[in-house]
Amino acid sequence: MKRRLGLLLLVLVLAVASLVGCGEATETDQADDAGETEESASDDVIKIGVFEPMTGANAAGGEMTVEGIELAHETRGEVLGKKVELVIVDNKSDKVESANAASRLIEKDEVVAIIGSYGSSLAMAAGDIVKRGEVPAVGCSPTNPLVTLDNDYYFRVCFIDPFQGTVMANYAFNELGAKKAAIIQDVTQDYSVGLSKYFVDAFKELTGDEDSIVEISSYNTGDQDFTSQLTNVKGKDPDVIFAPGNYGESALLIKQARDLGIEVPILGGDTWEAPELVEIGGEAVEGTVFSTHFTAEAPVTDVSEVFLEQYKEKFDKEANAFAALGYDAYMVILDAIERANSTDPKDIRDKIAETADFMGATGIITLDENGDAVKSAVIKKVVDGEFEYLTTVEPN
Amino acid sequence: MKENNRFKNSLIMLIVTIAVLFVLNRVLDDYKLRILNLCGIYITLGLSMNLINGFTGLFSLGHAGFMAIGAYTVAILTMPVHMKEMNFFMKPIVPFLANIEWSFFPALMMGGILAGLFGFLIGAPVLRLTDDYLAIATLGFAEIIRVVFTNTQSITNGALGLKGIPASTNVWWSWGVAIITVLFMVFLMEGSYGKAFNAIREDEIAAQSMGINLFTHKVMSFTFGSFLAGIGGGLLAALLGTIDPNMFRIVLTFNILLIVVLGGLGSIKGSVVSAILVTIAMEALRFLDESINLGFVELKGIAGMRMVVFSLILMGVVIFRREGLLKEN
Repeated sequence: MKRRLGLLLLVLVLAVASLVGCGEATETDQADDAGETEESASDDVIKIGVFEPMTGANAAGGEMTVEGIELAHETRGEVLGKKVELVIVDNKSDKVESANAASRLIEKDEVVAIIGSYGSSLAMAAGDIVKRGEVPAVGCSPTNPLVTLDNDYYFRVCFIDPFQGTVMANYAFNELGAKKAAIIQDVTQDYSVGLSKYFVDAFKELTGDEDSIVEISSYNTGDQDFTSQLTNVKGKDPDVIFAPGNYGESALLIKQARDLGIEVPILGGDTWEAPELVEIGGEAVEGTVFSTHFTAEAPVTDVSEVFLEQYKEKFDKEANAFAALGYDAYMVILDAIERANSTDPKDIRDKIAETADFMGATGIITLDENGDAVKSAVIKKVVDGEFEYLTTVEPN
Repeated sequence: MKENNRFKNSLIMLIVTIAVLFVLNRVLDDYKLRILNLCGIYITLGLSMNLINGFTGLFSLGHAGFMAIGAYTVAILTMPVHMKEMNFFMKPIVPFLANIEWSFFPALMMGGILAGLFGFLIGAPVLRLTDDYLAIATLGFAEIIRVVFTNTQSITNGALGLKGIPASTNVWWSWGVAIITVLFMVFLMEGSYGKAFNAIREDEIAAQSMGINLFTHKVMSFTFGSFLAGIGGGLLAALLGTIDPNMFRIVLTFNILLIVVLGGLGSIKGSVVSAILVTIAMEALRFLDESINLGFVELKGIAGMRMVVFSLILMGVVIFRREGLLKEN
């Protein structure tokens, strides 16, 4: 009994020691560094943290974003005469890990600013931590309005769901002349629910008709069969269907809709901009229209052109919106550091908040009082299996 | 004499643990405190699952569901009124929940009680099943909870999730609950109920013939386990400050199952130690994801390497030490 108790105590002490131990080790390491290579060594590097899902369900999106951030880092690796170092950590597409990762960046790596994360719920998990640690964070593509709400330290370079939903409602009403719309939403995805809600509000206002939304149907991520929702919708005879969701489910949904003989236009959101939409949907997705952040066909700014060229050179493929947003997030932070002329996170935060008319790869970025980017949206259409640029919608 | 000695030892352990926590609470930075908190929470969760799966031998995979109930109860009851208004911008929260704001302790208790109640209600019909069938039924229950929370926009805010939950969890809460759970488990397992649970695990027919009411004991174990899972979920919600239904997927249950299996099914000490080890190692092994410079060659980091290491450890334990890392007797 006693021996076992001793063993248990030993394990406990070891665990504690390892906790405290790493802390002390890093501190002494830093002290040694400072001693060996003179004071300036640690001052010469500006650390920017990146937390993105590199593994797990959101890994694809996280990877694309990190590519963009790395490209930006290669393009502009210095600010205020100091080298910038990227500290990239994986958040495993998991909320708990995401909070840990953000906390680690602030406390252990002592970064001056943070970029991330793909996936609004992962970004929200870091919200409280950056607020308490007083380190500014810039999100690339979390579009849920709650991310930046009531948080002075969180910003983003993408537009938010309300804007995107409104843009598509305007498109449906003005360009397609739709009077009645049906919604098919993925109820497990925050952006899908958000987009639908704002589409509905805007569409009702535009048509001046409370009954202009004839049907709202829901499905869950991972569903394969949408015939019941589609049959419902078909019976209501809408002029247009708005169906924001993941590209996989959406492609199947569109395919089944066409099979059922639904011929009306189908609209979606930025998640549709993936080659898989066409691969899965094939002929059926021809003519579908969606809003997104960015287009490679009609570069919005001079920076876009530079970005597109560099991206193609480095990765040998066409750039996507997530990479472009990662690129912009990095550039916005560097711009703020330069204007602040300081590496104090609080000064950087103040300057990020003041960002206005910043020439980014995805457009001209101005941050509003919530820390959300006010910028143009791009509308694209699937033509011959390619995403064709239709128009750019300016924020009002 | 022996009893006396044991009591003394336990008391010393308790005092040492509290003293260590006290010191750690003062010297650690936010990041390490967060890990320490997680250790405490995972001890509670690991033990709650061990009670059901390890001690009573019921193969249940419904933990994430009970945690979700606890987490959402704590979140909705403790969130300040203006925060609720902000969160529920798409569809207002139902009136009777809009204006309540409890303090943390009653909310946490409520979370546990609701989870326990659901455990009882689910357990009563489902525990007539055994083995794989029970696993499937409980797994289904956890999924149902998640889907219901996704669809009840005006109560849980659906897929948008909740943010701004007061960050009430600190070292005292997480470890206080963990210590109470450990004590509770020790007393429970020493007593007649514990013996009965073990008997059921070893051989149901033999247990029944000794006069143990199988059904009552199973439901009791399941209810206690889900109560503790609810408490753990509530602590986790108050630590993170934000929750959404997708957080409570089957993966979460597996994380806890990993702790239980590593520590050994039916071992209190094992669960405690493996909860601490797994939580710390998950962060400490992050260097495996990074690029490693060996001087003569630089290995490019591969994201997810640390998970591979974990899987290997788990496979090793299952093959070579099925009784867990440290199993008594």
